[in-house]
Amino acid sequence: MLISASEAGYFQQLARGAVITMELAVSGYILALIGGAVVGLVTLLPNRAIQAVWRVYASIVMGVPSLLVIFLFYYGGGTLLGGIIDITPFEAGLTALVVVYTVYVAELVRGAMRNVPRGQFEATAALAIRPVGAWLHVIMPQVVRLALPGLVNIWMIVLKDTALVSLAGLNDLVSHAKTAAGATKEPFIFFIAAALFFVVFSAVTLRFSARLEARFGRGLAVAKA
Amino acid sequence: MSGTAPLPAIMIAGLDKFYGGFHALKHIDLEVRRGEKIVVCGPSGSGKSTLIRCINRLEPHDSGRIVVNGIDVNDASSNIQDVRREVGMVFQSFNLFPHLTILENCMLAPRLALGMKKAEAERLAQRFLDRVHIGEQAAKFPAQLSGGQQQRVAIARALCMEPRIMLFDEPTSSLDPEMIKEVLEVMEELADDGMTMICVTHEMGFARRVASRCVFMDQGEIVEIAEAAAFFEAPRSDRLRAFLSQILH
Ligand SMILES: Nc1ncnc2c1ncn2[C@@H]1O[C@H](COP(=O)(O)OP(=O)(O)OP(=O)(O)O)[C@@H](O)[C@H]1O
Ligand SMILES: [Mg+2]
Repeated sequence: MLISASEAGYFQQLARGAVITMELAVSGYILALIGGAVVGLVTLLPNRAIQAVWRVYASIVMGVPSLLVIFLFYYGGGTLLGGIIDITPFEAGLTALVVVYTVYVAELVRGAMRNVPRGQFEATAALAIRPVGAWLHVIMPQVVRLALPGLVNIWMIVLKDTALVSLAGLNDLVSHAKTAAGATKEPFIFFIAAALFFVVFSAVTLRFSARLEARFGRGLAVAKA
Repeated sequence: MSGTAPLPAIMIAGLDKFYGGFHALKHIDLEVRRGEKIVVCGPSGSGKSTLIRCINRLEPHDSGRIVVNGIDVNDASSNIQDVRREVGMVFQSFNLFPHLTILENCMLAPRLALGMKKAEAERLAQRFLDRVHIGEQAAKFPAQLSGGQQQRVAIARALCMEPRIMLFDEPTSSLDPEMIKEVLEVMEELADDGMTMICVTHEMGFARRVASRCVFMDQGEIVEIAEAAAFFEAPRSDRLRAFLSQILH
């Protein structure tokens, strides 16, 4: 199948859309990582009120479809701000992704923290290592190792969820693919091209995560070998 | 530190500890002189671990006093740090850091808690690993070692802080019989070097050879304290007699 000049133009649009998709996914993921790490640690504090609020909040956010959250911020956000500031689809999508995936990351961090044996904390304390040093050198590397597979999963889901933001009018990869498919009557070319993008990035992610897992599995991988 | 009456290594007076409503330690009095080796034994749940964990503040106590080398063990975090620098601890489950090599396990506390330079910490770590006869494994990870080897590394790791007192909480209880000996030998060498030690253990041979005094605990109380010979040959209380007859058969 040959690609015409107009189709080449659409591919350029597609590439521009892909950049926006990546910007949204990467910034959303990084902010969710930071937010999730902080929220995960704070909600582990032995405080009943924090625990109770967290349980309710987390179950609400995880129970609602991401698309609804995106719409909520896009259509509701502007109204909330009194219509003074217009919220762009990118801002609404980013906010929604961060709000939703902060909760998932936080749950993951909480689970990983609970799986670091108590003896690890006690050993650092008995060695007069202060909490910050203990956290950085002993606890965090083990939390990261335990959380890594889940964090990789979340990255893949965030990447795919960016497609939902096209429904709020974001000109991302998927929206450009839809436009091009409609205009050229060649749905297969453009949708498959868009799908390929996601597949390639997932593959890259898996390669990269395998290296990270080897890095953080240091000391445990050798035992199996 | 030097002077007229030598300061006891550890002074415990009127110590009480509660877990919620449960009275885990009941008015414990115990003084440990420098260089003394104390063996603590008693049935499960009698409060042995709780007692030694109060000494380095892994557990806060509720009333009474604990003084370690003149330092009051209380809420003050600077005191807690100071005490932990004087007191090394070895756990039943080793608690080595799985993601660090043997050498790195031993270097971490000197570097973080004492601010030691890397090269110096490395030399120190290697010296103590050699001392527990495991120097040639320095580059391995904990998971690559046997239980006995791991426990010896844990001892070296604690020694790297050059503590004046060592606490052992059932250091051989999770080891296979053939590995118990190598760990006890290292502990005996340490005792011979004059280290002040409190060992929770049911290794009665070790107690007879090494202990200056033996402490028998039951239900959160110290029931009997005696020199090793008297402890084993002439127990005064029925509870200790019953315990010894159980454990020696
Ligand atoms: N964190 C805790 N919370 C509540 N109760 C505890 C806690 N730790 C210990 N206890 C209780 O305190 C008592 C003394 O426990 P401790 O661990 O000191 O006993 P032990 O003599 O070391 O026993 P073992 O030989 O089984 O190690 C036990 O009844 C135990 O159930
Ligand atoms: Mg115990």
